[in-house]
Amino acid sequence: MARNKLDKTNRAHAAEPVARAAAPASKLETKAEIERRGVSASPGIVIGPAFVRDDDRVHVPRKLIDASQVGAEVERFQKALADTARELRAIKSDIAKRMGEDHARIFDAHLLILEDRMLVDETTAAIQNERQNAAAAFERVINNVIASIAGIEDEYLKERTIDVQDVKKRVLRMLIGKDTRTVNRPSEPSVLVAHDLGPSDTAQLDRRMVLAYVTDLGGRMSHTSIIARSQGLPAVVGLENLVNRVETGDTIIVDGNAGSVIINPTPETIQQYENEMQRFAELEEQLLTLTGYPAQTLDGRSFTLSANVDAADEVESVLDHGGQGVGLFRTEYFFISQDYLPSEEDQYKVYRQVVEGMGGRPVVIRTLDIGGDKIAGYLHRSPELNPFMGWRGIRFCLTRKDIFKTQLRAIYRASAHGSVKIMFPMISQIEEIEQAKQICAEVREDLAKERYKIGDHVPLGIMVETPSAVAMADQFAREVEFFSIGTNDLIQYTMAVDRGNSKIAHLYQHLQPSILRLLRLTVEAARKRKIPVSVCGEMAGDRLSVPILVGLGIDEFSVSPNVIPEVKRIIRSVTYDECRALLRRVSRFRTTQEIETEIEALLKSHAANNGRAGA
Amino acid sequence: MVEFTKQVGNKIGLHLRAAGEFVKIAAQFSSDIRVYHGERFANGKSILGLASLAAARGANVRIEIEGPDEAAARKALEALFDAKFYED
Repeated sequence: MARNKLDKTNRAHAAEPVARAAAPASKLETKAEIERRGVSASPGIVIGPAFVRDDDRVHVPRKLIDASQVGAEVERFQKALADTARELRAIKSDIAKRMGEDHARIFDAHLLILEDRMLVDETTAAIQNERQNAAAAFERVINNVIASIAGIEDEYLKERTIDVQDVKKRVLRMLIGKDTRTVNRPSEPSVLVAHDLGPSDTAQLDRRMVLAYVTDLGGRMSHTSIIARSQGLPAVVGLENLVNRVETGDTIIVDGNAGSVIINPTPETIQQYENEMQRFAELEEQLLTLTGYPAQTLDGRSFTLSANVDAADEVESVLDHGGQGVGLFRTEYFFISQDYLPSEEDQYKVYRQVVEGMGGRPVVIRTLDIGGDKIAGYLHRSPELNPFMGWRGIRFCLTRKDIFKTQLRAIYRASAHGSVKIMFPMISQIEEIEQAKQICAEVREDLAKERYKIGDHVPLGIMVETPSAVAMADQFAREVEFFSIGTNDLIQYTMAVDRGNSKIAHLYQHLQPSILRLLRLTVEAARKRKIPVSVCGEMAGDRLSVPILVGLGIDEFSVSPNVIPEVKRIIRSVTYDECRALLRRVSRFRTTQEIETEIEALLKSHAANNGRAGA
Repeated sequence: MVEFTKQVGNKIGLHLRAAGEFVKIAAQFSSDIRVYHGERFANGKSILGLASLAAARGANVRIEIEGPDEAAARKALEALFDAKFYED
């Protein structure tokens, strides 16, 4: 990797002797290490050479063609369209086979673009009348189309320019004579860096040459993320302007666990990550030995370890990591990844897939938590000044009862195929849960009339994630059959801190004394009514927080699948008694710092036990 | 010539895929088909032209059809709008 960098520097010098004389020192310096944070799309850590997909930089030659060549050039253009269509049909059938007809459907639109009269006629006219070469003529015409679509104000309609861009690149490559499959393919195993990856891109990649994916665009449900998870490769998406900061051959670290990438890492950073990878590999190995063991403390108190998932394709990973259920199925990502509101059937299929995949283990399906940071374009909501305090979660569902009922119908129908619980997000007052329960009853009645089978008992629960829900926890505990504490939002709303704002991010800490008090209130209220409490925020997977949650006596931890083994390891290394004592001690502390120091000391005293955690 | 106005009733408007459905039907007829939205218009047999119209959900578009099979074309296209482009 270091050799690669040196080679490139040498080549640059040979080509630019003047520049070399002018700035010898800076050219020889190693490039600065840059860290960028994005969205963790698929776990794992990889260090390798970057391969930057250079698709936007197709060089289109421009020339005036001879009058006698016009006919041949038009034919060349038509042949390029026909060849591209053949290529697209092949990709389409491949995708349909591997990922299903739904994913393949967008290629119908791509094929229609190739036949578009306006595109074909205007390009042909430019070749014939202005004697432009086919590539230049085609590029100009299609760029005009892209510009006019990009000018549309409607966010959703605008987004689809990526499809037209996709077709443009294919036709241009066909005309310029480069083979798409070699231009875009790394020749050694590399980290693929791209602005965005479309279905046709990933379909053509040689999987042996890809170590990890990183993209500028995308979220957890984007195409890249789903592909990466299904291939078990690390991925970080939503990195904004990464493509322009990396060059092919640069060393890059992809940390799919933390959702970050490091470009041109220093030897120290590489060492640090190699240690981290070693630890990750050991954990993965431990997981194999641990999967069969219960999440039980040394003195015999058991906890349920479940997983948070966004998509049906994650079920396999949940089971591989020893998850005993799905503690949080976030349904909104499915809604966001669609071009239109998913129908009852669409939803039923996905929920059923998860429920059946878990083979009778409990699956907690959270109803749509749209709003906040996740707004689906097709809902045409106007932007809110303060979206996290706005029309989201249950508030949205209770006004859009049509959407809510459709989702509940799909969930109840899926409940016939396994063990399902329903959870409502963003509850802040009793009326909301009363109304939600009422709507659930109506839906059950409708389904019974229509002779649908549903599960015998589908418990209803709430996310405890607003301070007001904590304050009223004793009352909510009378209304529902379980609590799940969403610590991310609870901390945000309690501390009044936007964790994305770097100036105040220090306030966002799991082990704030105020947060511990709220957790305690919630657990006590639940215990009085004998309903179970789960913690499904990131706190449940936080190394230092686990002993505290054990001491609180929660029933269930729900974390990302890959974090399950780590949580299990910690639980198996402590006793319930000492965690309760720990909790009593730290309850007197006034600062996060003191609390963390105390927990660190306990974990350190157990460090020697880690080796026998699996034994 | 026949002309009629329809509201784009599918969830996200006349995007690429919906435009594709329109074109697939329009291409079955020999009549000329023009689609007007605001100050823009497009050839009803051009997927890119239709996608550039910026007809979001709820937009009213006017369709002009001229040719030997204009009545049949009108019927088929109206049915497409009524079926919300087969999306719901």
